[in-house]
Amino acid sequence: MAKAFAPIVITANDLVEGDSVFLGPEGWTRDIRMARVARTAEEATALDASGAQGETQNLVVGPYRVEVSLETGAPVPVLRREQIRASGVPTIPVGPAAIEAAREAA
Amino acid sequence: MYRYDEFDHRFVQERVAEFRSQVTRRLDGSLNENEFKPLRLMNGLYLQLHAYMLRVAIPYGTLDSARMRMLAHIAEKWDRGYGHFTTRQNIQFNWPKLSDVPDILDALASVEMHAIQTSGNCIRNTTSDPYAGVAADEVEDPRITAELIRQWSSLHPEFTFLGRKFKIAVTGSAEDRTALKVHDIGIQIVRNTAGETGYRVLVGGGLGRTPMIAKELRAFLPREDLLPYLEAALRVYNLHGRRDNKYKARIKILVHEIGIEEYARQVEAEFAALDRDAIAAPVEEVARIAAYFAPPKLAARPAESTAFERARQVDPGFAAWASQNTFPHRVPGYVAATISLKPIGGAPGDATAEQMRAMADLAEKYSRDELRVTHEQNVVLPHVALDDLHSVYRGLAGVGLDAPNKGLVTDIVACPGLDYCALATARSIPVAQNIARRFGSTARQKEIGPLSIKISGCINACGHHHVGHIGILGLDKAGVESYQITLGGDATETAALGDRTGPGFGYDEVADVIEKLVDRYIELREVPQETFLQTYRRVGMEPFKEAIYATH
Amino acid sequence: MQLIDLTGRAQDRWAHVGDEDPIPAEGPVIVPAARLFEVAEGRETGIHVGNDTDPEDLVPLFDRLQLVSVAFPSFADGRGFSIGRKLRALGFDGTLRASGPVIADQFAYLIACGFDEVCIPDALAERQPPEQWEAARRLISAGYQRGLGAGRSILDARTGR
Ligand code: SF4
Repeated sequence: MAKAFAPIVITANDLVEGDSVFLGPEGWTRDIRMARVARTAEEATALDASGAQGETQNLVVGPYRVEVSLETGAPVPVLRREQIRASGVPTIPVGPAAIEAAREAA
Repeated sequence: MYRYDEFDHRFVQERVAEFRSQVTRRLDGSLNENEFKPLRLMNGLYLQLHAYMLRVAIPYGTLDSARMRMLAHIAEKWDRGYGHFTTRQNIQFNWPKLSDVPDILDALASVEMHAIQTSGNCIRNTTSDPYAGVAADEVEDPRITAELIRQWSSLHPEFTFLGRKFKIAVTGSAEDRTALKVHDIGIQIVRNTAGETGYRVLVGGGLGRTPMIAKELRAFLPREDLLPYLEAALRVYNLHGRRDNKYKARIKILVHEIGIEEYARQVEAEFAALDRDAIAAPVEEVARIAAYFAPPKLAARPAESTAFERARQVDPGFAAWASQNTFPHRVPGYVAATISLKPIGGAPGDATAEQMRAMADLAEKYSRDELRVTHEQNVVLPHVALDDLHSVYRGLAGVGLDAPNKGLVTDIVACPGLDYCALATARSIPVAQNIARRFGSTARQKEIGPLSIKISGCINACGHHHVGHIGILGLDKAGVESYQITLGGDATETAALGDRTGPGFGYDEVADVIEKLVDRYIELREVPQETFLQTYRRVGMEPFKEAIYATH
Repeated sequence: MQLIDLTGRAQDRWAHVGDEDPIPAEGPVIVPAARLFEVAEGRETGIHVGNDTDPEDLVPLFDRLQLVSVAFPSFADGRGFSIGRKLRALGFDGTLRASGPVIADQFAYLIACGFDEVCIPDALAERQPPEQWEAARRLISAGYQRGLGAGRSILDARTGR
């Protein structure tokens, strides 16, 4: 029997800003919770096509599928890498904020 | 320090104009991503997890205050207020927009800087000794040669689309502080028996998936043959290096597969056929460059400084910092001071705009306006009078840059890892932070002594983990971060690749494991002066393995 | 395929003959190196070579060849640059052509390595018209290297050579 299809969303990087974006109902969005979710192989193929369009229209770079879990309702990436990407920032405080955080900790 | 003349200025300005045109053509679709990617990479622009990343070249790691201030300005204006100094003596900005990059490059050009060839399959930024012009054992300032190579390798028409990246390092000292033996080509300035200065050339070193120690290609190369010889060496690689597999495309694989003798034979044949005089740099040009690296005129001072001694008595923090973070200068009464970019709990190599400005101010005031970036991700003030050292220290302490840990267990090298890097398989910065916090006490660090921990977030080894006394490589095991430990690596003239201890450890276990290794070393060492590396070389892997894998 | 040279888009006078094609009875012709023996001596002749060719093997043929076309299977595969330089160093003075999907931004490097013209796929030529090639070629006025066939060396300019 075929394995159950794991739901996916399409992600890419914005061509100009470089940040992670997700294919939403009306174009690309920074918020993965707004992403369109494909629940079947057919839906995923359709999403791939829209994602590829974003690349040919010079809006985004390198669209690809990200497997998501829907346990909480909104899509959450399964892989740590994609969780970090979707969060938009490193997992630790960085830059001037990090120095502030360290000062407070001390 | 080298200064651009009209030709250098025009060259870099044209390069910025070229990139501006490439960005425009990318945005209008004349260039697709596939074509644009190598072009942006050749201008140091990557696409990372969260944003573009711009890697700016700091040729052979040398900077002045104006350049450092410009880096601070760029961090504030176009980034998020900080930058990351890398193991290749460069700096990376993590958040620029594609459309801003031409303006950033213009700003860099205004202070004689660029991002040319900091990435891509071309000859990368040439690295050198952070103590150039300082170390007593130096045959000649290696930056003269490094600058010659910088110019020669810039947009070399023949070698801009190589099979893979190509890294060159130059040292002027027998004591190696450049990790020479893990470069594609390593150049050591030497004197032959006739007393002439020339080059010992090593080839085929490298880290990454297949780490290798470089082999000797030429024991002595007359100095005027440098550029023709490099052309021959690169041409043989360009024509015969593998192109079928990205992981086998570095020169180390070619040298390994055909053997150093055969590679050397081909290089010598190519070299013999070249019109050397047509390619070599004219002697006047070498002399012109050398003049910029004439040693600064440091006023003679007594070897002992009463101001320094007094400050040491009254300020124990300073005493600890001064004993750990300085390097002897060839001129009496001076030292080279290392600014550690490894505060406990910080991200290794990161500096904020405020910190960069503070370093620039101190360099201007106390170090002949010079700074150096090291491959250990620290910054050096090369010419500080002992009398001024306490002022330097207080200036650093004011911005949190006074960690007295140079060369100690918390002076950890770490690549950006999965917090930034699109290629990463695991995080490295938080791992470094956890270890540093574990060994936070200065007294404990001192007791442990010299110990270099190096961490990479994937097999590419930007964190040089193979040559860390303790190396840590972050991998992905079925969606879980797993860290492989190596012991006994060494980046110096006694270069060695670390040996794997065995199965990897989970993210939360790493600090414990490192502590066990360190505790075992303390038990094993015969005298406190025996370093971790010496102990490891004496006793081997077994006792360390036992310490971390034995079930208690 | 479209031909671009220093004057912009050029007319390709050469017939390209593949491994299997019949060789036309007359006119300039570019054949795979292995089929050179099929072409009568005295005719305007070029050969097309792969980028794993050893340029020294071509030296005995120089007298017969007015053109050498070097394959660039992808713009990222830079072996052809070294082949071009070696062919010039070995004394080839006919037309040197880069054939394949090289891009406008490589034009100046190709010329510096001894090439005279590029022959690129139509779709690429459409995206990158001759003006872009011309502009890209002119963007860098001088390089640091010495001993290249074309262009000005900064090192020579500095020392007044
Ligand atoms: S070692 Fe890997 S994770 Fe670290 S910076 Fe290099 S490519 Fe990225």
